[in-house]
Amino acid sequence: MTVQSEGVQTHSPSSGSAGGPKAPVLKRQRSGSGAGRLSKATPYLLLLPATLATLVLLGYPAVKIVLISFQKLNMFELIQHTTVWNGFQNYTDQLTSGEFWHTAERSVFFTLANVVLIMVVGSLVGLLLNRLGKRMRLFLSVALILAWAMPVVAATTVYQWLFDSQFGVADWFLSAFGWHSMAHYNWFSTQLSTFAVITLLIVWMSIPFVALTMYAALTTIPGELYEAARMDGAGMWKSFRFVTFPALKPFFLGTTFLEVIWIFKAFTQVLAVNQGGPDRLTETLPVYSFVEGVGNQHYGVGAAIAVLTILILLALTAYYLRIILKQEDEL
Amino acid sequence: MNRRLIAAVGTAAVLVSVAACSSSSTSSTGSSSPSSYAGKTLTVWFMSGSNTPKWTAQVQADFEKAYPGAKLNIQVQQWNGIGQKVTTALSENTPPDVLEMGNTQTAGYAATGGLMDLTSVKSELGGDKWAPNLNNSAVFNGKQYAAPWYFTNRVVIYNKKLWTAAGLTSAPQTLTDFYADLTKLNATKGVSQALYMPGEEWYTYFGMLLGQGGKIAVQQNGKWVGNLESPEAKAAMAVYAKLQGFSKAPKDKDEATPQQSTVFSKGDVGAEIGLSWEAPAPTAIPADQIGYFPLPSDTAGKPMPVFLGGSNLAIAQNSQNKDLAVGFLKIALDDKNEGEFASEAGIVPNNPALNSLANTPFAQAALPAAGQGDTTPNLPQWAAVENTPNPIKQFMTDVLEGKDYATAAKTADDEITKRLNAQQ
Amino acid sequence: MRRSLFGRTWPNAVAVVLFVFFVFPVYWMVATSFKKDTDIISTTPVFLPLNGTLQHFTRAFHSQGFWTLVLDSITVTSCSVVFSLIIALLAAFAVTRMRFKGRKAFLLVIMIAQMAPWEVMVIAVYMIVRDSNMLNSLVPLTAFYMMMVLPFTILTLRGFIAAVPKELEESAMVDGCSRRQAFVKVVLPLLAPGLMATSLFGFITAWNEYPLVLVLNKESAQTLPLWLTQFQTNFGDDWGATMAASTVFALPILVVFFILQRKAVGGLTAGAVKG
Repeated sequence: MTVQSEGVQTHSPSSGSAGGPKAPVLKRQRSGSGAGRLSKATPYLLLLPATLATLVLLGYPAVKIVLISFQKLNMFELIQHTTVWNGFQNYTDQLTSGEFWHTAERSVFFTLANVVLIMVVGSLVGLLLNRLGKRMRLFLSVALILAWAMPVVAATTVYQWLFDSQFGVADWFLSAFGWHSMAHYNWFSTQLSTFAVITLLIVWMSIPFVALTMYAALTTIPGELYEAARMDGAGMWKSFRFVTFPALKPFFLGTTFLEVIWIFKAFTQVLAVNQGGPDRLTETLPVYSFVEGVGNQHYGVGAAIAVLTILILLALTAYYLRIILKQEDEL
Repeated sequence: MNRRLIAAVGTAAVLVSVAACSSSSTSSTGSSSPSSYAGKTLTVWFMSGSNTPKWTAQVQADFEKAYPGAKLNIQVQQWNGIGQKVTTALSENTPPDVLEMGNTQTAGYAATGGLMDLTSVKSELGGDKWAPNLNNSAVFNGKQYAAPWYFTNRVVIYNKKLWTAAGLTSAPQTLTDFYADLTKLNATKGVSQALYMPGEEWYTYFGMLLGQGGKIAVQQNGKWVGNLESPEAKAAMAVYAKLQGFSKAPKDKDEATPQQSTVFSKGDVGAEIGLSWEAPAPTAIPADQIGYFPLPSDTAGKPMPVFLGGSNLAIAQNSQNKDLAVGFLKIALDDKNEGEFASEAGIVPNNPALNSLANTPFAQAALPAAGQGDTTPNLPQWAAVENTPNPIKQFMTDVLEGKDYATAAKTADDEITKRLNAQQ
Repeated sequence: MRRSLFGRTWPNAVAVVLFVFFVFPVYWMVATSFKKDTDIISTTPVFLPLNGTLQHFTRAFHSQGFWTLVLDSITVTSCSVVFSLIIALLAAFAVTRMRFKGRKAFLLVIMIAQMAPWEVMVIAVYMIVRDSNMLNSLVPLTAFYMMMVLPFTILTLRGFIAAVPKELEESAMVDGCSRRQAFVKVVLPLLAPGLMATSLFGFITAWNEYPLVLVLNKESAQTLPLWLTQFQTNFGDDWGATMAASTVFALPILVVFFILQRKAVGGLTAGAVKG
């Protein structure tokens, strides 16, 4: 899809004009008769609605969840509207529990595995789209869009049905094509096979975004660059390495950033496919927080896990945040 | 300018349409004198599968006659995620007025102060006639926090056509008979599985545990601890595993995923162990094709003890229509309606005098075992044990899948103990 | 020669395999919803529901209050998407085309906002809405859905605005347009595809949202995801009914996607070609 092509168009060699013409704009503003103060305030006025919305609708709940994480908030306190502070107890309980660290470790590896899969396969599909003829490209794009547009709740249900141990097509397919021990295989009986289904579902849903964005980005690379590379004797790999990759670096950075966030936060898919089972072995941090907080109605504990989750996510993405912010300077 | 105007009008229209959709019927509160009920709405939450159609219609008619102008808004809730839903609802200013609550959960909610104390209106509600053992779960710290509504227990529901095809003519008297019958059924043509019994039907296991003289949790030095490591629990699990061996049902699912009744309704399953509402709809299998008998024990003529599942009706402390809510309970639980409910649903009513009205084929099978039934410890913390992921269910799956009994039981006991002693 | 034939064929072959991989689950959902029960639970899958049935759909449509839920879902989703587009457009324009103090800080906040774990913040949102007496209303739902998609919308629109050549805007201003006029007359039309593409994401998010509406609107003003999950628990392993419900639920998204996607892609490639 086209959504994430921002970086590309800003940074690809073809838009070299981006840095140049801002000076005249500013000059004109300054020379504008008497409107100087107004235009200085303009950007802030434009940001006002977004800032207000973020403060009220996100900032307030975020502060509240941090406050709750320092409270004992169970059924009694919630119903009676009482506030009981218990200091760092929710945090120390979590940080000293093996379960939390196991889940955190699992979440990180789960995210890494999925993001790598999605980025590699998604990019390959994007490259393929660029190579295909017009008709085949449309054909494949339609399939990608269908998969991408499937609502998560519906997609999760379909995957449960596909991998049903009695009438699921997946088992039938595997056994019909020779792997007979897979007939009526229960995919949700072990940690690994459950994760396999969840991963397949997530990868299936996520590849279209990467592939279509990648394709949109590829179309912005001028053909002359490839021609020049070819004349210098570069093969397929080398022209990817020296032409495609540098031009698409912003795309890779931005998309990876988004995918890390999305996969790490993936909730419905992980919870709905097998409720975090078997034996809570497929719970990731958001699911763990939900089970402890909402399921067991220990909302303070759930809030503390949520805060820790965000901190881990920030640590995971700090590198990208820095790079992306640095690029802003070059704009 | 024009465009801006259009934009402004558009925005306003959007806002209005949002507001229009949201202007729900918030009941006007506190304005009326007790005698005028016009415009008042009483909201009642029943759990999915509880309120039978005839009983519901009858109660609705009686209610609207007794309180002219008042409206009864009945909402059916799903079990999935009900904990948070009820807790948040009880914390609101306009909660549902009357709520159905599982008997294992009532104490927990009573402890939060979210339920109205019904002690003073108990006899008005007919409380003097309630069977004491049924009323236990509605009492917390000596106060009445709910009215017992019904009790029920699981029986074997079987497909007569398939049993006849297997050459079976009478209900088994002992477990050994039952095993033999199931073996025959599994060998019969047209039977996909003799019994549908998923691995996590822990209420059935609870009955078997009682049958071995065991307890799910015991008090040690004033502290409640899980008791699955006991030899009784192990013996009961062996019975469960043996029965489950006749089933193709998944070992890692409970009876609600999928609803076992839908599996049984397909007509190629010999039997299931379930409640009355889990019997197939007459459109799927005609009622006269369905038979019921209590799960047998090792002794002939003595049914296996059962888990006494049941529900109470409670009033939210924050209800804005408490007098109306008490009035509703009075109507819903009076002898006429409770009797109708007993005869329609085949459950054990709250008043033993009405027991004879429960004479559906299901009730005839269920009542003999009900006398030997028991429930989970009446503790506010108990509901937490049943929260997903329920450690007892995990324990059952582990044992059925061949994991070491002692390890599985220890893990579950630790978790049960932890939850029973967690701060509420 | 043979090698180049192979070279021309394999991309198409891979494309066909990928096509099947991506389409099959969607196809299977739709196909199952039309099948008779006996075809659904058969040991050999029935791939084409030739003698199909509509019974699953009738059941889905006749569930209580279905059309109210549809209307509520559409209202909430479209309102939240429109509001987030308007707010994001203003912010994205400022961030892309203007230099000012605090610009980077704003971007950082938006990027972090993108990470907000809404599912686990539900209880905080619930308490806020409850304490301001706004439960069982579409208004807070719309507002929070708007916020869920706002960060992404801002970040994405920023890219689209950057792609519109500044020269166009400037020449309009030289021709005597004010900055606002230049934006409305020149930039906005070029942004249309970008706006559409971005709205898709918001549309999906808002359409799907479940944990929040579950606790906020217990009495009324409910949306379709609640219906879908209820349908699942009610009908258990009645996969025909469940798949019919899923199809009904997915259909509006698929339709919107196809309408918007074609224009969005067309417009954007046109914009990108200018290079």
